[in-house]
Amino acid sequence: MSKILTMPKDMNEILDTKEIVDGFIIGIKNLSINVNMCIENLELLNDIKDKDIFISLNKNMHNNDLKKIKDILIELNNYNIKGVMFYDMAVLNIYKSLNLNYDLVWAMEHAVTNYMTINFYNDLGINYAYLSSDITENEIINIEKHSKSKLIVNMFGYLPMFASKRHIVKNYLNYFNLKDKSKINYIENEGNIYPIIDNNLGTVCLSCNILNGIKSYLNLDVEYIVLNSFNIDLDKFIEVIKLFKSVNKNNIEEYNKKINNSFKNIDTGFLNKETIYKVKKND
Amino acid sequence: MIKPELLAPAGDLERLKIALRYGADAVYIGGPSLNLRANAINFTIDEIKEGVDFAHKLGKKVYVTVNIILHNEELVKIDEYLKKLDQIKVDAIIVSDPVIIKEALEKTSLEVHLSTQTSTLNIEACKFWKDMGVKRIVLGRECTKEEIKEIKDNVDIELETFIHGAMCAGYSGRCVMSNFFTNRDANRGGCSQICRWDFNLLDENFNNIKGDMPFTFCSKDLSMLRYIPEMIDMNISSFKIEGRMRSIYYIATVVSIYRKVIDEYCNNKKSYEYNILYENELRRCANRDSVPQFFNGVYNEEASYYNGRIEVSNQDFLGIVIDYDKSTKIATIEQRNYFKKGDIVEIFGPNHETIEYKIDKILDEDGNIIDIVRHPKQIIKLEICRNIEKYDMIRKKY
Repeated sequence: MSKILTMPKDMNEILDTKEIVDGFIIGIKNLSINVNMCIENLELLNDIKDKDIFISLNKNMHNNDLKKIKDILIELNNYNIKGVMFYDMAVLNIYKSLNLNYDLVWAMEHAVTNYMTINFYNDLGINYAYLSSDITENEIINIEKHSKSKLIVNMFGYLPMFASKRHIVKNYLNYFNLKDKSKINYIENEGNIYPIIDNNLGTVCLSCNILNGIKSYLNLDVEYIVLNSFNIDLDKFIEVIKLFKSVNKNNIEEYNKKINNSFKNIDTGFLNKETIYKVKKND
Repeated sequence: MIKPELLAPAGDLERLKIALRYGADAVYIGGPSLNLRANAINFTIDEIKEGVDFAHKLGKKVYVTVNIILHNEELVKIDEYLKKLDQIKVDAIIVSDPVIIKEALEKTSLEVHLSTQTSTLNIEACKFWKDMGVKRIVLGRECTKEEIKEIKDNVDIELETFIHGAMCAGYSGRCVMSNFFTNRDANRGGCSQICRWDFNLLDENFNNIKGDMPFTFCSKDLSMLRYIPEMIDMNISSFKIEGRMRSIYYIATVVSIYRKVIDEYCNNKKSYEYNILYENELRRCANRDSVPQFFNGVYNEEASYYNGRIEVSNQDFLGIVIDYDKSTKIATIEQRNYFKKGDIVEIFGPNHETIEYKIDKILDEDGNIIDIVRHPKQIIKLEICRNIEKYDMIRKKY
């Protein structure tokens, strides 16, 4: 079975789940997006040093981020972390110049879609790849067969769909002189509700449905699966973790139903749905 | 000061030829596979070859986009495709996946440009790609002028930046809304521009937040016309115009305006003055507002576009000259929009000043006199006593 990583929202969630998960993905303030918890003080990592900790430095980097990246990569070397997840090649280039004792994870969100590119990064010394959530179960299995890297795959939660430097919500509010202080907003289209978050780093927007990949999970042989608690009640999330931990061929249908029945908006994402590549002229 | 390359989009051979005739130094096109405009017509290998031969005769270049995010199924196609592009002497390929870069550099003599799809925005990332063998980087559109200068000062590599056209609302490569809303893969050429859709915006308690217009991700277009001198002084190697699916009229207008500005500034920097008439001309072929976007570090609500999806269809473009007989002064025109006898129009082309012309007499293909040209692509003849040329265009006069 794969190990389970979660993206905790806060320390309480870490404490409530640390006995039933294998590790956590945590962000660093001002360097991470699409994570639920960003820290400034790395001392906190000492409290969970017995877990597999991945630090996500996955925002698009600008020149004024470069010093911060270098400082944090060096500082992280003092802690027992498994790896740093990166999107921008700046992180990789700086990492290469330092002699660090943790791994890098190629986590380019929507670009980790084939085994050759994963192997290309593996040849550069990057031992993990965090697969795109836009690919099918069959594609993941094919990547498993041919990839030299250890794989990390999203299996539960809202999925990243959009990231921008622009303040898409704030701009709208300002333009029409509207007031709103929500921490999370939503956009609605044809009855579907998509979470959208506008903060100091820009805007991210997530899928309307929660991914439930438990049925695919049994067919995969990856190093880690990721369960994301964003916008999910902790009690329900803990139930989901427990179901993933104990699922097997005999109970899969029952467990799948249990998860599906716990949430109104749930599906299997792209695991069983291939995206269209060529658009036909009459489409 | 290095005179930058003016790089234009071309969705097909006709647009390629128009772009080069109207002053582009190079064009970028999509081939039969592995590019991000799967729903454009795109070029066959034979057409790419014809385009390359045409460009090379003019001393100009053709770049081919090979910039999709590869899935397993596409891996088998790379080698053969790159070799074909190499054989027909494409000047460079525009790439985002490092596997394609590696294959191209190891197995072909193709020059490699890094696509904006990688959202490369900083010195360290540029160094990484340079070390990989990339010759040029198309910077992410989120770069400010200070960031571009810093990159230029610290990395010895050609930089290409966008100067005109539509903007993605998100970081390139980081928006897959199209996948979720329409199942079309944005990173494999299927983008269905969800950023231009209207949505209801809700607060954290799911209450509607309603402005005078619906919520959208949409941003205004980019126009750097006013900043071209500053960008030339920054030693940016190539100025890129967006829009492989744009019309020949749009391409001809935009290319010729930027050509003039680049030439005027490079030919005589001291006497250069910004010409507001050029800006007005650019506006005429656009159907959306445009601003400099991130270049000045401003990407607030003024760069957003709230129009309820109303975009004015441009009907300025009346026809294209498909033949001109200098001895008889008869121009053969292919119609693109309605016009009639008595209209005062403008004829513009790459090799002469804009000509004002009153339509006195219109002949149809059989030589019959007609008063109105109303049929799309209708062939008509006009007597025009000024020296015009094939591929000149006729537009409304304001």
